Amino acid sequence: MANLALSPTAVPESKIAAIKRGSAGDARFRGMTFVAAFLVVVIFAGIMIALAIGAWPAIMEFGWSFLFSQKWNPVTEKFGALASIYGTLVTSFLAMLLAVPVGIGIAIFLTEICPRFLRRPIGIAIELLAGIPSIVYGIWGLFVFAPFFQSTVQPWLIEVFADIPWLQDLFAGPPYGIGIFTSSFILSIMILPFISAVTRDVFNTVPPTLKESAYAMGCTTWEVVWRVVLPFSRAGVVGGAMLALGRALGETMAVTFVIGNSHRIHESLFAPGTTISATIANEFTEAVGDLYHSSLIEAGLILFFISFVVLASAQIMLRALERRAGGMSG
Amino acid sequence: MDTAVRDKVKVEIEDLSFYYGDNKALKNVTVPLHDRKVTAFIGPSGCGKSTLLRVLNRIYELYPGQRAEGRVLIDGEDILHTRQDLNLLRARVGMVFQKPTPFPMTIWDNIAFGIRLYEKLPRSVLDGRVEDALQRAALWGEVKDKLKESGLSLSGGQQQRLCIARTVATQPEIILLDEPCSALDPISTAKIEELIDELVKDYTIVIVTHNMQQASRTSDYTAFMYLGEMIEFDVTEKIFTAPSNKRTESYITGRFG
Repeated sequence: MANLALSPTAVPESKIAAIKRGSAGDARFRGMTFVAAFLVVVIFAGIMIALAIGAWPAIMEFGWSFLFSQKWNPVTEKFGALASIYGTLVTSFLAMLLAVPVGIGIAIFLTEICPRFLRRPIGIAIELLAGIPSIVYGIWGLFVFAPFFQSTVQPWLIEVFADIPWLQDLFAGPPYGIGIFTSSFILSIMILPFISAVTRDVFNTVPPTLKESAYAMGCTTWEVVWRVVLPFSRAGVVGGAMLALGRALGETMAVTFVIGNSHRIHESLFAPGTTISATIANEFTEAVGDLYHSSLIEAGLILFFISFVVLASAQIMLRALERRAGGMSG
Repeated sequence: MDTAVRDKVKVEIEDLSFYYGDNKALKNVTVPLHDRKVTAFIGPSGCGKSTLLRVLNRIYELYPGQRAEGRVLIDGEDILHTRQDLNLLRARVGMVFQKPTPFPMTIWDNIAFGIRLYEKLPRSVLDGRVEDALQRAALWGEVKDKLKESGLSLSGGQQQRLCIARTVATQPEIILLDEPCSALDPISTAKIEELIDELVKDYTIVIVTHNMQQASRTSDYTAFMYLGEMIEFDVTEKIFTAPSNKRTESYITGRFG
């Protein structure tokens, strides 16, 4: 048993060579993972710089007014992105408003209430919803959903809110079918599977004994979900919602189909509008003139910036939430 | 059996059988639980002692496929009856689990949460009740300056006492302890055992434990279970000094199980 001695001299040459080969390979592997990670930063910076260079003529020409003007006139070459920024923010906000409660509701149903044999079919159906190409949502929205909204939902809403101040302006006629409201609705359907799938997965990470002890105190299902399951998994829920918001902000095809593509801000949600991505997709091929081109790129840069700010503020919000809960990590 | 005759019976478990699907985990168990006494359930893993505990507050109902047959009478009333209100039952029968399960909220909220389920109280009264519960769980001194911190920031032993405080705060009649010390160090275990001695003045306590010394130290009555059957039930002292059943004797002397 001499070869088991701890003295290094007892280790055979072949073994030492193998170890050396191994550690050289380890160093190479480390280098490769570093390059892969670094590549992300390079690509990120590259896109930023390319966008900034492309947008430069428009930035020089319009300055800050690009952000605050809703004039978008290719003939006189006067451009302002306010209408599309407004459209992007409002459609995403409304889509979240509709999809987050429903998505969390679906997740609660699937994890706490749904009979076991129904869990898989419903779960799969929701995941399939995420797999539908956005162009399909677009044509469906334009040919089926918008006419339906125009003839039923919108006239009804206009009537319901007719006498309520402020809301009567938001839901004012005429019902076009297409517009900000319909886009938001389509968007909410598109982001719903992200929210419910992620939320369901994080709900499933709540330890069964934690739920049992809440039930053992006499909590109802509602109290268990609201006071124990949601607080325990809120980081994951917010993460899922942010993933969905990221998708909503950048979603192009479906929105382009149903939003109406009008560079005007209307008070009514039923009026047509536009978003940054819809504007770019619609107008890039016909953008003649450097300034037009450059303005579209600047709009893209702004979208990039909006997404960045949204994700960053989500992180900050999450940290604040956690501090308030007393430094818990769950 | 002198004391056994004198003590009032709080819970009568009669001819209780329990099924996990087709698997019969409890076989016609009959055992009394005495009022304001500690009853310990001992036996090797899988003997059904935790299952028995889970019947007493019907927490098993969370899982389809699990069912109980027989009768469990609390103050003469059968809690296995389908018309039994589960939330009401669980208000009367509190439970502390093997692993500490503080809720993801502050220490103060962990206690107030349970109280608020049943009572609407002004903040000042609530503060008093929270302090009282923490006092009773011998935790007040350690947490009184950090009531606004998360329950998860406490050590394992403190978390378990927090869970006991939480249960006590809702003022149940019966407290079920499912191996409450198995995840704790000896000092925390000693504290919990002291706590049980204190709590038994007001509550009927049922404890499941793998620790023979713990059963003999803390309980007034002991039930020995084996393979889903009730083998022997008696005053603790008798079980540990002169058991009448051969299997009980071999188990407590460590010859099997």
